[in-house]
Amino acid sequence: SIMSYNGGVVIAMKGKGCVAIAADRRLGVRGHTVAMDFQKIFEMGPHLYVGLPGLATDTITVAQRLKFRLNMYELRENRRITPKTFASVVANLLYERRFGPYFVEPVIAGIDTKTGEPYICNTDLIGCLNEPDDFVVSGTCVEQAFGMCEALWEPDLEPLDLFETISQALVNAFDRDAMSGWGAVVHVIEKDKVTVRTVKTRMD
Amino acid sequence: TTIMAVQFDGGVVLGADSRTSTGSYVANRVSDKIVPIHDFIWTCRSGSAADTQAVADYVKYYVDAHSMELGRLPRVRTVANLMRKICYNNKDNLMAGLIVGGWDPYEGGQVYEIPLGGTIMRQKFALGGSGSSYIYGLVDSYYREGMTREECEIFVKKSISHAMARDGSSGGVIRITTIQSTGVQRQCILGSDVCMAMRWNHDYFYHGLNQRLKDG
Repeated sequence: SIMSYNGGVVIAMKGKGCVAIAADRRLGVRGHTVAMDFQKIFEMGPHLYVGLPGLATDTITVAQRLKFRLNMYELRENRRITPKTFASVVANLLYERRFGPYFVEPVIAGIDTKTGEPYICNTDLIGCLNEPDDFVVSGTCVEQAFGMCEALWEPDLEPLDLFETISQALVNAFDRDAMSGWGAVVHVIEKDKVTVRTVKTRMD
Repeated sequence: TTIMAVQFDGGVVLGADSRTSTGSYVANRVSDKIVPIHDFIWTCRSGSAADTQAVADYVKYYVDAHSMELGRLPRVRTVANLMRKICYNNKDNLMAGLIVGGWDPYEGGQVYEIPLGGTIMRQKFALGGSGSSYIYGLVDSYYREGMTREECEIFVKKSISHAMARDGSSGGVIRITTIQSTGVQRQCILGSDVCMAMRWNHDYFYHGLNQRLKDG
């Protein structure tokens, strides 16, 4: 299956005035692990991040193409993009390739700098937006990740608690997946700062 | 899966990872792939879990009856041949890669490998499973003749931990079974100790490698 060729998983969660987005770090070729430091979460603004699990070549290409569209937006509008608008940009980019899609299923997490409102969403590979209030997951172990998030998430978590929750959800989900894991990176985005942490995990 | 067995003077060391996967889902992350066939003869299983469990159960039954009739401990060679017969005669319907390791009073420690088609090969050390491909080089460079029991255990733990790090279908804990005339001991290397295994006695092995390179 194309979507599980390289492996990988991304989760994002909403907290109290903050969001967190986390991903594993593996890059594989079917069963063979090739890299343990592959970046799947990209910064698109000071408080806006996008995670791109799926086929690795499309992860890199879509990240680059999104950055281009974002730069053009900021040049024309002379302001930072809001997360909700950015989600529409992502959806548009993907639907343009409706009959020959990019094999990524993005996860978007950010804070609207004007209102301080946290925002998360994910899309399928052809750009259908899904904007829930709690958490989003994408990748090769979605079933495991859904189970972990459903069990651990609760509303209005403080940034440090949100970090703990999302880390446990991610790590225990990908420990049950042969195609994900080998390290984890977690971004916690608050109104005034972003904290990036790498989590020490089993390397198998 | 990564499985491995090494012979030493007076016994064998068998090692395996503990991951059973159905596709990419890890169905069991603490499975036991090393099964006893008789008191001093154990087998490492790789391939289809159902097939290897069935074969092992058959061989266990046959060897049990055989050793009772004989009134003595069965030979490792006998067990390996029984296994080989089942694997070869049902080769179209089975997917089983087995490593038989054990001790008997007649020939001491022995390792027999039985890959997919039903070949039987006696070897000083044997590797099997999807993860074995990643450690052939490591094993070839670190193996020496005449290793002691402790050296063999470290060798097995180190090799399997490297395979687990690279193979998606291998992981979990490292299970080690050491068989000697004095008895059988089982160990389980968990969590962070698996990472440690990659670095264990690195100097010792490094020195050995340098020595072998000098010797040519």
